[in-house]
Amino acid sequence: MKFDMVDRVLELAPERAVTLKQVTAAEEYLQDHFPGFPVLPGVLMLEAMVQAARRMLERFGPPGLSGPQGRRAVIARVRALKYGYLVKPGCTLRIEVARLKDPGDGTVEFKGEVYAIEPRVAPAQPAIAASGRITLHAPAASSTLAPP
Amino acid sequence: MNRDEIFNKVREVLVDALAVDDDDVTPDASLTRDLGAESIDFLDIVFKLEQAFSFKIGQGELFPENVAQDPRYVQAGKVTPEGLAALKARLPHVDFAAFAADPQLKKVAEVFTVDTLVNFVERKLGAGR
Amino acid sequence: MRWMWIDRVIELVPRQRLVAVKTVSLSEEHLHDHFPAHDGLPALPIMPASLIIEGAAQAAGILVGHAEGFAEKVVLAKMNRAELSRDATPGCTLRYTASLTQIDRAGASAQVRVELAQPATGPMAFETIGAVELMFSHLDQNMAGVEFPAHNFVFGENLRTILRASGVPCDP
Repeated sequence: MKFDMVDRVLELAPERAVTLKQVTAAEEYLQDHFPGFPVLPGVLMLEAMVQAARRMLERFGPPGLSGPQGRRAVIARVRALKYGYLVKPGCTLRIEVARLKDPGDGTVEFKGEVYAIEPRVAPAQPAIAASGRITLHAPAASSTLAPP
Repeated sequence: MNRDEIFNKVREVLVDALAVDDDDVTPDASLTRDLGAESIDFLDIVFKLEQAFSFKIGQGELFPENVAQDPRYVQAGKVTPEGLAALKARLPHVDFAAFAADPQLKKVAEVFTVDTLVNFVERKLGAGR
Repeated sequence: MRWMWIDRVIELVPRQRLVAVKTVSLSEEHLHDHFPAHDGLPALPIMPASLIIEGAAQAAGILVGHAEGFAEKVVLAKMNRAELSRDATPGCTLRYTASLTQIDRAGASAQVRVELAQPATGPMAFETIGAVELMFSHLDQNMAGVEFPAHNFVFGENLRTILRASGVPCDP
């Protein structure tokens, strides 16, 4: 199983990214969350927002968090992240991330929203499954597998 | 504690709970429509008000409970006159005037404004907890 | 990938405090995706912060559930705030100290201190690397109209395995 929460990038601009993630019963951890009632864990919606934001950083910076370094930006802070919907296998998630603040101190703050689209024959209004604010920065760990 | 002091503390609670700015918290701002509050935020607000003002808020005392489930109070998605009367009786801190004109159940959360919370705290502190 | 983000409960004071640990290992597949070598950068295996937060949530969730005899379906509903200042790398141990802040019929709030120890085979030195404030919702009390099973699927066999291995009594 891969730890990849972006199946498709739908939009990518300096201040906004929109990505898509499918939720499928084939995702192993769903068997534990929960047995007999698979529901996407909320933190994976947080992870989906982070992975979408990384695409924005990779392409548009700021310096120090752009290019390959942007793809490795990690969470410094999360604020007011709420979950409002039980996302089940068969759903499509639309993840929207907007850049809020670029204070120049090595952190960037984003607002993230995750919408759940049910697989119905007649299209239904997407439900907001998660929303909140995340701040990313470069990892503190050093970049080698070898012992120090 | 006067109303201004209560308002300031309520504002702190809302900024903390809803991650909004101080300026967003105006007296007539609706918690749901203007400040983005959702169901879990209502519980967060209850907990934070309890801590801020050192009182205990009972089930259904600040926000309504069990209205939607009662067939006397809700019919075809609208709150009945009996339902509206029950809400007014249980929640004297809320201004239902605008809601009464179009009492759709799904819009009931919108009546809760910042002022509603300030009214609630004022009454509760005045009544000696 | 399994969905257990704590390994052992090392202390439980009912309704007050729960301390749990999680070891971080290269046996965990996702560390090879987070991050792989790319664009001239070498691989950098770091535990994703979202999963550290999940560990904190599981520690706090068990404390809340245990306080209620595992009668309620306790689900994570809000992360008020989370701050993390260091990364957990393979060989490290994470320690979560959860305390219950408030609890009522609709749900509960908790806070968790997150600590990290570098790889060691002797006594471990933990440093605080962050904190998480969370809210849980009692599913049965809050999701009228949504269909889900009556039995408590939140606290199932995996949790009981962890608790049993930790020496914490729990009902069958």
